Parts: sequence; structure tokens; C-alpha cells
Amino acid sequence: MESWRKARPAVRKKIAIFVLIGWVLLIIGDRVDELRVYQGAQMAMYTIALASIVLLTGYSGQVSLGNGAMMAVGGYGAALTLNNLGTPIWFAFLMAIVTASLFGALLGAAAARVSGPYLAGTTLALAVGLPAIANQFAFLGGEPGLLFDVGFPPERFGDEFTQYKWFFWIACFIALIAIFVTSNILSSRFGRTWRAIRGNSLAAELCGVHSARMKVLAFTVSSGLAGLAGAVLAMTISLVAPGAYGLALSFALVTGAVLAGISSLPGVVLGAFILVVIPEISVALADRLGDADKLNNYLPGLIVSVLLILSVIFTPNGPGENLRKHRHKKPAH
Amino acid sequence: MIRKTRIKRTWLAAAVIASGSLLATALPANAETGVSASEIKLGITLPLTGAASPGYNKIGNAINAYFKYVNDNGGVYGRKVTLIQKNDEYSPQLSIAKTNELILRDKVFALVGPLGTANFTATHKSVGLAKRGVPSLFLNTGFSGFSNKKSYPSSFMILPSYAMEAKIIAQFLKDNHAGKKLGIVYQNDEFGIDGLGAFRAAGTKFDVSIPYTSGTQSAATAQTWVSQLAAGGAQVVVFFGVTSATAPLLAVAAAAKYAPQWILGSVGSDPLTLRALGVPVAVLNGAQTPAGNPSPNDTSDEYVKQFQEINTKYNTGTAFDDYVLQGMNIGLMTVQALRAAGKNLTRKGLVRAMETKGSTFASVAYSPLGFSRTSNVGHTGYYMAVMDANGDRKPFGGKVTLYTTDSGSGPVVVSTFKRPAMPAKGLPSNS
Repeated sequence: MESWRKARPAVRKKIAIFVLIGWVLLIIGDRVDELRVYQGAQMAMYTIALASIVLLTGYSGQVSLGNGAMMAVGGYGAALTLNNLGTPIWFAFLMAIVTASLFGALLGAAAARVSGPYLAGTTLALAVGLPAIANQFAFLGGEPGLLFDVGFPPERFGDEFTQYKWFFWIACFIALIAIFVTSNILSSRFGRTWRAIRGNSLAAELCGVHSARMKVLAFTVSSGLAGLAGAVLAMTISLVAPGAYGLALSFALVTGAVLAGISSLPGVVLGAFILVVIPEISVALADRLGDADKLNNYLPGLIVSVLLILSVIFTPNGPGENLRKHRHKKPAH
Repeated sequence: MIRKTRIKRTWLAAAVIASGSLLATALPANAETGVSASEIKLGITLPLTGAASPGYNKIGNAINAYFKYVNDNGGVYGRKVTLIQKNDEYSPQLSIAKTNELILRDKVFALVGPLGTANFTATHKSVGLAKRGVPSLFLNTGFSGFSNKKSYPSSFMILPSYAMEAKIIAQFLKDNHAGKKLGIVYQNDEFGIDGLGAFRAAGTKFDVSIPYTSGTQSAATAQTWVSQLAAGGAQVVVFFGVTSATAPLLAVAAAAKYAPQWILGSVGSDPLTLRALGVPVAVLNGAQTPAGNPSPNDTSDEYVKQFQEINTKYNTGTAFDDYVLQGMNIGLMTVQALRAAGKNLTRKGLVRAMETKGSTFASVAYSPLGFSRTSNVGHTGYYMAVMDANGDRKPFGGKVTLYTTDSGSGPVVVSTFKRPAMPAKGLPSNS
């Protein structure tokens, strides 16, 4: 209680907002049908994954097309921990962050030497290659992957409490904590430094910022977030498999981040919402076009690509960012 | 201050959009999910596109063709039966997503013929089919793990298990290829390992053993298999994998003029699909294979004849092969199961009907069905067949010798079982 009183009003307010959002989510989870609950869990997963892109690209200015691969590292890290060590589930999620962060630190060390399209190319190669590596090793389960079973919901919640509601609760809880921590990091000294580097790397260095070290740090934190999202994804499908973290996922994440406004952390919720809605739109479209059985799997990719192209042509920083700027220009009342 | 207000506004907007969309739907109240006065809605996940799709992509349309035939003849107690197909590209994570769509969005009554061992393992766990009580009839996989009635209380197999198949091949090797050097190429997942374990239990020793990881197989990969088999001097090679892997193996072996006695597992031995994938017919000539059903070209068989007629009318333009035959048969058995569950159709009732009456259903396969209150095993045996120069299948030794066994340590025995006759006009009248 003492520490709560000591906390700055802004932090107290932020905590109160997050608790309120959590409470609203709990109520929503109780009121909607199972499909929406499942989609809610997916949305929470995308929220974390998009936050990792916002942190890396929007704040530190490093373009990554390989976040899907980092999610794979986290997913496999969590699954191997859970399956081989039989640890509690929270520890598996923690290991997802640790594994992906370590991997991100290594990648960041290499990435700090390149920038722009070269960095994008390097991370793209990672997105293509890394999930496919799992096919080569039996301990990673090959193409069918590994089961990732977080178990049934506690019995005291009753029979009506479904597995997907359990996923929704866990995913939302993790997402709220992840976004809270990320928003604090971004408004801290680190966030300001990253923005300084993004604005003008040379000027930042002249001010005493160790640019390369800070870029590696951004990569590490961003990868940890992506790894956590990867473990949440694994939970929602009870599986880690190379196909779940393919190139399509990396592109979808980039699209979601661009549409939400690449440097807007609150915007990630909107980006996540768009990513969850796209398959819904594709189902409706496929039903209209006929031959839905075959079309259905390819339409989401097409919609993502078209949205990305349109966004780059008409709103290079994303519609979310444009909205923000538009609001910013309004005269103050 | 301006920034804080902005953040708050954005959060508020995002939360309103999210909650609004989530609240946009409400659960419809139904007597039984997927069943109305006029319709019974069923679903299937299978690879309609992708590397593993050749052959399997015909099963859904074949089941649907049979359902259309039944619907045109009165349906099941007046209800028409419809099947929603979902393309999982033979990938477990897609299979989970598509099964979710079938159950949560399309609200199907039951799953019919879901395909793939890894897929169904993942789906069953992830979607919670047992907990939901969703009947999963006639799984298109022979993984013996699915015969665990406690873990899979609402799932029912149709194929003999891979363990049964391996035991029967082991017996056949003992009886007909004793003293020869043996090789095996198997898919290194539950499917292949299930078979390999049974071979080991039966005492079969392979001189060359090649596991391969499930997925797309290239000619270069197949080349390494052939080199290893040839170097090991394998005279009889058992292949325990899917058709998309059989094809490069046989094509590469033919090009290298390596011609052992092939014994192709039932899963990857459909001649039409192999030929479509570029395997020279001459390679198939003489290949031996365990088979449960008669040849799809055997028009003297009453089931085959009836199904061919239905295929011509309701599945126009599709060549009648093993996959179409299997699909039609799943359709036939599903209709019997739905009828057996009675007019007041419920998921529980369907599971009970499968347990109490399933073993009496008419089916094209020669072996008995093992359904009971304690068993969800479908067919329980195979006969050995030989392929000819056209890829057609004839019983080994000129007549069908049916072997039956179990997935455990039971013996392989020659069975005299006579399958039930095809219902008149292919329309079940059971109750």
C-alpha cells in the first residue's frame, strides 16, 4: 500500500486504466460466444506482437520483416521448456521471452551494422529460413511440430468455463502486462534515446548516446516481446509448428503495424483488430466468389498484401499515424 | 498533457471498437448444434491444395456426391445431409483453425473423415473435441493411439491401425520373403513410428531403415534414400509413408534402375495418384500392398458398381479411384450411423449408436468392424494385393486372403468373415 502511495500519479493512473481494461475484458469474455472469445485471444497475441514492431521500428527506427521468426523462437522455447522440464506454465512463457531475447541480442549485434533495406533483407531471410529449420530437427517435431498444452482451466471455474475462455484470460492477462511494461519502457530514458537515434543517429551520438548498443538493446527487448507473442500463439493453437510462424505471419504483422501507425503503441490494438478481422472478411468474400474451400486459405494473404500496398501508396506512415497528425493539427480549445 | 489526452482517446477508441465487435454476435439457441428439421450439417478437414493434396483432395467431393445421392432419395429421415469441406493443406495448425471454423462458426453437428494423424492429434487436443462431445466419425488415419477410447471417447476410426497393417505385412514378409534383405522407408511421425513399433514387436529386422520427416519430399531427398537402400542391398523394400513421398521414391528408383520388391503401405499406394505424380507404371507392376477395399476397377463387386454409378452422376468428371471409393464408403457408413442414431438426432445419440450398432454397418472393406462400447476401432484387417502393369490391384495369390489382428500383441489370423451386403440401391434402411 505504501509503494502504491509513493508511486507517481501518472503511473497510478496508468495502472488503474490497465486494471479497468482487464475488468472490461473479463466481462466481455463472459458475454460473447466462443468464436469471439477465441478471436479475442488471437487479438491479444497480435497486440503483443505488434508492440514488438512498434518498439523496434517506430521507436528505434530499425525495420524488421522477421518478427514471425522471433515468435517461432519464443514458441519453441516455451514448448521445449514445458514439454521437457514439466515446468509451470508461467515459467514456459518466461522462457519464451528469455530465449527470444537472447536470440534477438545476437541478431541485434549483427543488425546494428546494417540499416534500411539491408536490415530488412537480413530479417526477411530470417523469416523465410528460421521456421523451416525446425523441419530438419526431430527434437523440434518436424513439420507437424510439438504440442503445447497449457492444460484445462481450473475446475473451480465450473464446466461452463471453456478452454478458449481460459486461453482468452491468459492471453489478455499477458498482453496487459506486456503493454504496460512496454509503454513504461517507451516513456523512459530508453524510449527517448531510441527516438533520438531514429531522428538523427549522428546527433544522438554527439549527445553521448551509444547508438549501436541502444539498437542492440531495442532488438533484444523487441524480440523478447515477439517471443512472448509466439508462446501465446502456440497456446491458442496448442501447437508450435513451422507453418504457424511462416512468412505470411511476418508480413501480416508488418501490415498490422503500418495500418495502426508504426510509432503508436495504443494503435497496436487497432492493428490487432484488423488482423483478426481479415480472415472474417476473407470467409465472407470466398463465400460470395464460390469455390470457398480452396480460396479461403489464400484470400487473407491477398487482403494483407493489398492493404499494405494501398497503405504505402496513400498513407506511407499508416492511416493510424495520419489520424494522429490530423488531430494534432487541430487548434486547441 | 496533450499527449496524455491523446493516448487516453486512442485507448478508449480501440477498446470501444474491440468490445463492440466482440459483442456483435449472440449465441443462437438450438436443440442440437448442426441439426435442423431439414438439414444435418457435417464437416471435414482435408488437404484440398498443397503437396499432400493429390488423391486426398477427392475424398470430400466423393462423400458429398454420396450425400447428394441420398438427399435425392429422401435424405436421412427427411433431413438432407450436407458436408462443409475445409482445406487444411495437411498442416496441423491450419487443421486446428479450420476445425475451429467448422465447430464455432459453421456449427456443424459432427466431423466426418478428418484426415491426417498429426492433424487430428493436434485438433483433438486444441479444439477439445472430446470435451465438447463432437462426434468425429471415420478418421482417415490409422494411428493406433486413436483407439484409446478413454482419450478419444467421441472419435471413431475407419482404417485398420498402422500397427495392424505393419503386423500383417510382417506376417507376409515371414511367409513370402523369408531370408531376403529388407529395407524400410517410413515417415518419422506418429504414423510411421506406429508401424515401425509393430514391425519390431513382430520380430521383423530391417537391414536398411530410413526415416524421413513429414512434408514435401524432393527428388534429391529420394535419391539419398535409393542410394542407401541400394548400398545396403535391400531386396524387399517396405514403404510406410504418404503418396506424395512414394512418388519421388519410385520415380528416382526407376530412373536409377533400382528394382527391389516394393511393398507399399496402404496410405501411399494409390496407382492413379502415383501415375499423376509422374511415376512410371512399369515400376508399379508387381508392387505388393496391403489393401482393405476391393480394387476400384472391380465392377463385379456390388459396392464398387453402385459407387461408380453414383460417381458418374453426382461427381461428374472425377476418375473413380481408391480415394473416391473410400470417400463414398465413408458417406455410406455416415448415413448408416445417422440413421442408427434415430430421428431425434443428438451428438450423444450418435456416439451411442456407433458403439452399439457400428459393428453391423455395411462397408466396402472386407474385414470386420470393431466398434463397441469399449472400442472405437473400425476395420480390423487387410488382404495382400499385387499391382499390375496398369496400376490395377489384384489379390496376391489370385484370391482374397483376409488377415485380421489387433493393434496390440494379438496374433495375425486368416479370417473367414463375410462382409454385409450392399444395401439395396446403395441406400441404407437400418435404424
